[in-house]
Amino acid sequence: MQNSSLNRYTRGWYFVLPGLIAMLLIVAFPLAIAFRFSLHDVFLYDFGNQWFVGLENYLYAINDPLFINSVRVTAIFTVANTLGCLVVGLLVAFLLSGKKIRFKAGWMALFLMPFVMTPVIVGITWRLFMWEPDFGVINQVLGFFGVSGPYWLTDRSTALFATALTNAWHLTPMAILVLYAALTTIPDETYEAARVDGAGPFQTLWYVVLPMIRAHILFVSIIIMTSAFREFDMVFTMTGGGPGRSTTVMSILAYNRGIANQDMGMANTIAFTMFMIMAVVAWLYIKVYKVNKEASS
Amino acid sequence: MNHRQKGRLLLGGQYAGLTLWLIIALLPPVILLAAAFNETAMFRSPLALLTLRDFTLNNFATAFSAGDFWFYFRNSLIISVAAVIISVVVCVPMAYGLNKLRPRVRGALSFAVLAMRFLPHVVLALPLFLIFVDIGLSGSRVGLLLAHLAIHIPFAVWMMVGFFENVPKEMEEAAIVDGCGPWKLFWSISLPVVRPGLNALAILVFIMSWNEYLFALFLAGSDAQPLTVGITRFMGGVEAGAQYGVIAAYASLIVLPVIIFALLANRYIVSGMTAGAVKG
Repeated sequence: MQNSSLNRYTRGWYFVLPGLIAMLLIVAFPLAIAFRFSLHDVFLYDFGNQWFVGLENYLYAINDPLFINSVRVTAIFTVANTLGCLVVGLLVAFLLSGKKIRFKAGWMALFLMPFVMTPVIVGITWRLFMWEPDFGVINQVLGFFGVSGPYWLTDRSTALFATALTNAWHLTPMAILVLYAALTTIPDETYEAARVDGAGPFQTLWYVVLPMIRAHILFVSIIIMTSAFREFDMVFTMTGGGPGRSTTVMSILAYNRGIANQDMGMANTIAFTMFMIMAVVAWLYIKVYKVNKEASS
Repeated sequence: MNHRQKGRLLLGGQYAGLTLWLIIALLPPVILLAAAFNETAMFRSPLALLTLRDFTLNNFATAFSAGDFWFYFRNSLIISVAAVIISVVVCVPMAYGLNKLRPRVRGALSFAVLAMRFLPHVVLALPLFLIFVDIGLSGSRVGLLLAHLAIHIPFAVWMMVGFFENVPKEMEEAAIVDGCGPWKLFWSISLPVVRPGLNALAILVFIMSWNEYLFALFLAGSDAQPLTVGITRFMGGVEAGAQYGVIAAYASLIVLPVIIFALLANRYIVSGMTAGAVKG
């Protein structure tokens, strides 16, 4: 009763409408256009000529080895990023949440650096100074242990690993800060009780803490997954999709198709496929989230 | 080993772990900065650059002059500031209003916002490129700004909904009983409570716009190019050649504003990034 009177008085729609109209114009409308172009043969600098081809672009894509390759590369890139960020993020957040650790805000401020750094600059920095085969930090450190490192970014077998690791470096702060925020909500008594029961730090983390911050883990996985899935800037500045096609993620393939090959129909097909995958992810997230919330309440 | 020693050892281990990650997190930006202050940054171990053996400021002078820095800087600044202002004006009321809608409508709109927040940027860049050619916005800052907003609005709305949920219902109900109208309810009751959220929104949107590259590559033409395009063009040009020091100086100038933001306003960045974490 109280709630409905509150709703009536505040007139939600007036506040929502400007933003909603903006979203329809600059998000929904371009999306519709993208879908439309994905059903057409249309070329860059020649938009006047468009041929409706139905789902032909999609059929062509799923039989195109380059498309299949980009899906594989994107999947590896995304999974590696999500797992890497989660594991490192959880460990660092757990360490930082220790009761006796001092200057927590200071640590956190410095931990944010990789995340706020411009992705293009991250790519350039890692390419020139970290992965550089002869003088780069990675191979210098490996050399210290007597290992001679590969030509990371120009070797087909290592380029994807190197770009994924760089991107994970960039995204890990997100996992740290969300999981750290989650960990601070766990009362001290919980740790106390686990300790009394004789659980070590890792047992406590695995059996006691993780189940309590399930919702946050889900949230941060989704955020990292979606950012890694669409990543373009960093990979493009590090390898441009190469060597060969070894780091051609779907975003880069769409760019290549649209700009280099001037095939806007196919570019939109690839991009719209990415959108559909993400829409399913968003839908699943909300479903899982609701199940989670009902289970915990 | 007694209990106390064990506790000390554990704490030492915790600090060691944190320090290890701190080194990993800071080494690349620190090396970038160091390279910018070295005369010869190529064919040298980046770790040796940290000693600043041949210190110089020339790299920055070259970056400013040869790299056309201020042209790109102006575009980046104008677009980022405009994006912040428009995002705040549009998204804050929208997030506020969403909380007041009927649950079913709210759920549907929330899903739409979330789906758009996950949108791969390339799926907007391609059609916007075509649309802007049609309506004469291609290669303009306005066009690029609109593309940025397409990303910012869903992000900002999602984030602000999280902040508005912290406004106590009782506060608003009391205000209504006192005869407070809908506009005043928003402006003088709810808005002051979410003030930290506004700061977080402004900072995060600025950083996102400042760092953006993909849209610029598609939509900026030659007049609206921001710094991210500026540095990649500079690296591809003849002046750059193998001058790692100049490239590093250019890159440092680009990341400096966001790094300063992160140091000064980390509290808001943290609260903004975690705002959407615990709701559906």
